[in-house]
Amino acid sequence: MNSTITATSLPKSFETLETLVPQWALATQNERQQKRINSSTGELQAFYDAVLPRLEDILAHVDKFPLNELPADSFRLFTMALSLAEVAPHIELYKGDPKVPHSFDESRFVAEHGDVRG
Amino acid sequence: MNAPAELKWAKKYPELGTGPVPVESCISPEFYEVEREKVFMKTWLKVGRVEEIANVGDYKVKKLNFAKTSIILIRGKDQKIRGFHNACSHRGNKVVVESGEETFGKSKAAVVTCRFHGWVYNAEGALVNVPEEEKFSPCFTKEENDLTKVHTDVWEGFIFVNLDPSPEVTPLKEYLGEMGEHLSNFPYDKLTKCFSYYTYLDCNWKVAHDAFAEAYHVATIHAGSFPNAFSSGLSDVQLMGPHRTTAICLSLKAEPTPVAKIANGLAAASLVAKRGASMLPPSINPSRREDFSFELSVLFPNLLVHVAENIWFTHQFWPMGPGKTLWEGKYYLAEPKTNSQRWALEFAQCLQRNAWLEDTATMEDTQIAMESGAKKFMHLQDDEILIRHGYHTLENYVHAK
Repeated sequence: MNSTITATSLPKSFETLETLVPQWALATQNERQQKRINSSTGELQAFYDAVLPRLEDILAHVDKFPLNELPADSFRLFTMALSLAEVAPHIELYKGDPKVPHSFDESRFVAEHGDVRG
Repeated sequence: MNAPAELKWAKKYPELGTGPVPVESCISPEFYEVEREKVFMKTWLKVGRVEEIANVGDYKVKKLNFAKTSIILIRGKDQKIRGFHNACSHRGNKVVVESGEETFGKSKAAVVTCRFHGWVYNAEGALVNVPEEEKFSPCFTKEENDLTKVHTDVWEGFIFVNLDPSPEVTPLKEYLGEMGEHLSNFPYDKLTKCFSYYTYLDCNWKVAHDAFAEAYHVATIHAGSFPNAFSSGLSDVQLMGPHRTTAICLSLKAEPTPVAKIANGLAAASLVAKRGASMLPPSINPSRREDFSFELSVLFPNLLVHVAENIWFTHQFWPMGPGKTLWEGKYYLAEPKTNSQRWALEFAQCLQRNAWLEDTATMEDTQIAMESGAKKFMHLQDDEILIRHGYHTLENYVHAK
């Protein structure tokens, strides 16, 4: 099931990230992984470049709320930070390769936690 | 001839020898049959954690393909966890209908009920209700038709079974022996945030085991995910009966990348980050080496347990045939306290998953190349002593009377 978050608002002061929401505000690790695999190097780089400068602000923002009790707009923002966690190694370590270089077929690796939200 | 100054582990354990090791045991269907019978049907095998069935009446059913069975593990009203073959005494159907390799359920009354005709068994395995019991002949009694028991015991929260049908087997504590003591007193039950993976690999279970049982490969295989780490050798190798253990020491060079640096500042969740004061028992990294990364321990035959600061993880290799293995990898961390820590765990865990994808990438190629028959032997260096000990131990088991 695709649980893409369709609403578009982010918390105040994060408006500049709004355009990334439809593509990258993904609620589960499986969705974020699939999005990364199916993105081009350019798309990964653009996402990384847009979110990295705001990462610490995002993490400070989500810590205003108790664990797992984020309002919808903050949760949406948080899932974009989680997407950055998924994407970062590909920019920082794998020279922009959307796949893990020299790796086992990712589609054969089953994550038991893969469909958990958050 | 290559003549190194000293082979440290070969000197400590001369009985293992230093020669080439035949690859035959990884490709031979005949060897697989003997191994199945003399190792997997006779030894204690980890099948779960107590947290998975935390409450009275919780049960887990685990398939054990090599034995063509599945095991019901159920927590009784006395809190004891018992194990039974998932087979009904009536006409042999599975009592619990399974979905996949592992199936979980709950029963307030702490019973399992066969879906076929409604026979009910309690958590001690006793048959407690048979619908239309009066229609069975007088020679049938409930008392003689318990579920078939499987030796089941718990060590440090790990649930083990032994499929040996003999009424008495070596107790688990005795089987684990020194290794059980070596790995005790680590807070497994406090680090419960679990990230779990599995896959089916077209290789022998030992090919998968061996790929994880050394650190020689870190500089090559993990050049992608862990470019800042290189093995600074094994430390404190100890062979304990059929089990084996070593410290894996990794030197960390280079500054962490930008996102890694932020994540490392929020939570101690990555193997390739410096972590703080020790929660490790004195038996682990006794010399408190600065470059200690994690302890790699093999509980014979098929379980790797790794303990580290704030992290523990396991790999397990279930044979499904001479050239097929179910691999399970589980990575355990402290539960996050904040949303930002939750994020940091995600980063560390994604990177660890990627490293495991690098590890598993070699295994099927190794199997195919071995099966070509081009190479009859493998060569092991001194820091691959855990692999050497594995084959040595296996030989002892398959030749045992």
